[in-house]
Formats: sequence, structure tokens, C-alpha cells
Amino acid sequence: MKWLGLGLVAALALLVAVALGPTHVPVAALATSDIVRSIRLPRGVLAFLVGGALGVSGAALQAIVRNPLADPFLLGLSGGAGLGAVVAIAAHASGALPVALAAFAGALIAMVLVYRIGLVGGAELDPRVLILGGVAVGAFSAAVTTAIVSLANAALLRNAMLWLWGGLGNASWSSVWLVCASLPLPLVTLFAAARPLDLLALGEEPAGYLGADVTRVRRQVYIAASLLTAVAVSVSGIIGFVGLIVPHAMRAVWGRTHRALFPAAFLGGGVLVTLADTLARVVVAPRELPVGIVTALVGVPTFALLMRQWTAR
Amino acid sequence: MRRRAHRTHLAGLLVLAAIPWQRRGGQTASLAVTDDAQRVVRLAHPAQRIVSLSPAITELLFALGVGPRVVGRTTWCDYPDAAKRVPSVGDGLEPNIEAIVARRPDLVVLYQSPLDLRAAGELERLEIPALVLRQDRLMDLARDARLVGVLTRDSAGADSIARRIERIATAPAPALGVSLAYITWDNPPIVIGGESYLDELARLAGARNVFHDLRAASSVVSLETLAVRDPDVLVTLADSAVPHPAPPAFATGPAWQAIRAVRERRFVVLGGSLFGHPSPRADSAVAELGRLLRSAR
Repeated sequence: MKWLGLGLVAALALLVAVALGPTHVPVAALATSDIVRSIRLPRGVLAFLVGGALGVSGAALQAIVRNPLADPFLLGLSGGAGLGAVVAIAAHASGALPVALAAFAGALIAMVLVYRIGLVGGAELDPRVLILGGVAVGAFSAAVTTAIVSLANAALLRNAMLWLWGGLGNASWSSVWLVCASLPLPLVTLFAAARPLDLLALGEEPAGYLGADVTRVRRQVYIAASLLTAVAVSVSGIIGFVGLIVPHAMRAVWGRTHRALFPAAFLGGGVLVTLADTLARVVVAPRELPVGIVTALVGVPTFALLMRQWTAR
Repeated sequence: MRRRAHRTHLAGLLVLAAIPWQRRGGQTASLAVTDDAQRVVRLAHPAQRIVSLSPAITELLFALGVGPRVVGRTTWCDYPDAAKRVPSVGDGLEPNIEAIVARRPDLVVLYQSPLDLRAAGELERLEIPALVLRQDRLMDLARDARLVGVLTRDSAGADSIARRIERIATAPAPALGVSLAYITWDNPPIVIGGESYLDELARLAGARNVFHDLRAASSVVSLETLAVRDPDVLVTLADSAVPHPAPPAFATGPAWQAIRAVRERRFVVLGGSLFGHPSPRADSAVAELGRLLRSAR
């Protein structure tokens, strides 16, 4: 019943994204409109996929570091992607593809750095080292990003800031296909690791006794979740709070079993970003807000409400 | 030997001390204007060492014939050529007070922005007169010319430049019948709105900026809005003049094919400082924009 409800909400969110926009398209013309086919629909679908990827990535990262604060931000991935994109923008790499590739590369470099910091510390993917390494890499990326931005001219500064707050303005069917092609492998990897992740929640030692290869699971999940984030960030810029709040909200309804949590986080993240992007396009039309601002404005109060429920329990 | 040098030095000091006294004798009244930040700027004598913190003002100062008195400029001030020989005090976006003071100015002209206003306050504390001017439209620049004319004591020359600028700003526009959108960034798409000099240029050239109704100098819009507003030509900006401009990189982006002007490859690239800010050369900018739009149509 709750799956049916979530499925309906997801379908409704996509419908709203297609039906609403800065310009008026009559309901009767929705199916035939060029605007819907070439702009609104790919943008809505891309928003959903990006949100889904971020939601699942957040759930996976929270599971391996066993910390409710974990998300792509905390683990330095978004910072690395942001630095990559800003370097590309500062180098006048025009067009969406070079910036997307640079962001993707930036996220992967951040992932490798955090991983290496863990190895140097003598504890591969130790949760504490992952978080500390992530925070360090994130802070370092932010410092370099700010240095580049502050040495650049005003126009570059604004363009970089807009990218850092996320946006789906350049969505097209080709970006949708690109994301569709990149998501299955990390998603399947994570889904396959659902059972060991459940065991990991009991603690490392018990999980080991119960047959989970903790180090291998951690490594696989860390790489898969980082890939999901890298793909999402490269096409949409940095959309914050999705990877943090969606897993928590979904756990409240679906519990802690990852076999259920992952699909729920995918749908929930998709719904959140699709609706946030629709708001970003519509509320100040014909102008547009960065979608990350909307997810923060909507997400943070929601999160506060959820927190109150948990602490009241 | 040493003694004589000392005496010469002393004599020099005496001469220097006499100068202000003589000047005061010849002075009629102090020069004062109220700037665009409603600050009263008062000079004891016509400005001799001027630091300009915007390309529009640098160009205006040279047009007013006081170019030789400009002792500091920003890295963006590249017109006329003589301006490039003036030492730069940085990019001027967040004025570098130390670099400005090092040029020993008796007048600093700033742009009306929050950062420049703060800098004007700091300069005032250092007893350096700072003139804050709006320079977003041609009519602003005409007014700026007259204010600067008072402080350089050349009101007649300034008035003739101001009237020239006003004539350009009020000239009847030809009926070009072209609509355009200025694209300053592609991801996310950023366009120029009604509160801008480029919008004024489009109007003067007889073209219609499809985002004239945006109450901002520029704004992020969605591709959907751009597709629906359907401009005939997309205009982009380049830092310097480009003899044979290539179509912008976004022209090949799949998402942009929803825009008719992209599909029909109607692009115009505006290069160089001619289009970047209001100037006494605005008539050339209007004519050039008109010519480019007619050939792209």
C-alpha cells in the first residue's frame, strides 16, 4: 500500500513538472507541445533521476559510515565536483559537456583522495577516517574553489556560484540517456549489498560473524555511491540536502532494511528534486532560482520537523 | 658640499611653502557637487590627479580632454589606447584602497555599488575626495559628464559632451523589426534584462529585447521561456573585438535546439568595450549593432 502511494506521488510529481512551467501550455496541448517534449519532459525526468541517485547515494553512505550526518557533502564528493566544475569554468571551457566531465572527474578525485587518506591512516574505509577525510577534502576543495572564484572576474564568479547551487537548465534527452546509461551499474551494486549493509548496522564485528565481508562491502558501496553522486552532480551542479534528508525521511516509513530503503530513497529523492525544480522554474518566472536553494529552503524545515518527531519518541 | 645641499633643500622647502598661499589668493570658490550617492564632494581646486574605477568614466575623462590628469584606472579600462598607459589599480570590483592611495589622487571616481560605496567611505576618512556615479544608461553618463566638468572646472566642454550623449540617447530609432535576446551565459541560461545599457542599445538600434520586461540588469531564465519568447537573433558578448566570430559553444547543445534562433543559426557576437558600457561613442555602438542585426536577420 505504501509502495503504491509512493509510486503515485512520483507519477504525480512528474506530471506536475510537465504541466507547470514559466509559460502557459494548455492541458489539451500538453501531449503535442514542442516545449513539453523537448524541454519540460527531459528536464522533469532528469530531475527525477538526479534526485533518485542522490537519495540512494546518501542512504548508502550513511550505512557504511554508520553516521546519520553522512551525505555526499560531508564526504567531500560535492566539494570535489564543485572544484572540478569551477576549474573548467575558469578555464573558459564553454558548453555543458566539458563542465560536466570536469565535475565528474572532480568528484572521483575527491573519492580517491578520501580513500587514500583512509589507507594512509592504516584503516581502509574506517568510518571515522572516511568522515574526517571527507571533511578535510571538502574543506580543501572549498578553499581552492573560493580562491579561484575570488581571483576571477564578476561574471565568472556569478556563473560559478550558480553552478555550485545546482540547476537543470540545460537538461535534454541526451543528458537523460547519459544518466540512464550510467545509473544501473552502481544501483545494482548497491542493491546487491543491501543485506550485508543491514548486518553492518549491527556493528562491524557482529556483521563479520554473520558472514559479511565488511571491507569488501564497504569498498564496493563507497565506490558505487560516489559514482551515483558524480553522475548526478555532473549534470545538475550541487543540489544539497537531498542525500541527507531523503534517506532519513524514508527510514521513518520503510524502516532500516536496505532492500526496501534503496528503492524508496530513489523514488523519494526523485520526487523531492522534481518538485523543487518545478518550484525553481515557476515561483519567480520568467526568472529562475537555483534548484539547490529550493531543496535547502524546503528541505531544512522538513528535516527539523522530522527531528522533532524522533526526539519526541 | 654637504652644507650646500642642505641649503638648497631648505630653499626648496620655502618655495613649496609659498605655493599654497599664492593659490589661495587666486582661488575664487571651492568646487562642490552632489553625487549619485547623495554625498557632497568638495574640492579646493580643480582635480589634477584623478583615479577612475570604471571603464565608462575613464573613457569619459579622456573624451572630456582631461585624460592626462588620469593617474589610475582599472584593468578593464582599455579605451582609448592612451588609457592603457595609465597605471592600473586593480580590477576595481572591490577597490584596493592601498593601490588607489599610492597614486596620490585628489579625486577618485567610483561606480555606484555597495563595495564602491564602502571604499568611498574609507577614502573620505583618508581625506581623499571620492565621487560615486551611476553609469548604467546614457542619460546617467550625460549627468556624470556635467558633474566631472564642475570638479575639473571645464563646465563648457563637459556640457557639450553631455549634450552629444543626450542627442544619441533621444535620437529616434530606425524601424528594424528584429527581436533579440542577449545571452551572457549558457548553463544556466542568463539573459540581459530591461535595467541595462544593452537593453537601451537594442532600443536605439530599433531592435526589441525580448527580456525588456525583466526588472533586472540580467537574470537566469529557463530555456522554455527563451523558446516561447522566440527572439529572431541571439546576441552574445566577447571580451575583445572578434573579426570572424564563431557561433557560441551552446549552439550545438541539444537542449538549445528548442530555440528557433539556434536552429536557424542567427547569432551576433558583440566584442570589445564599445558595447560594454555607456560612452560618447554610443552612436557607433548603435550603428554597429544595427548593421550586425540586419546581416544576421
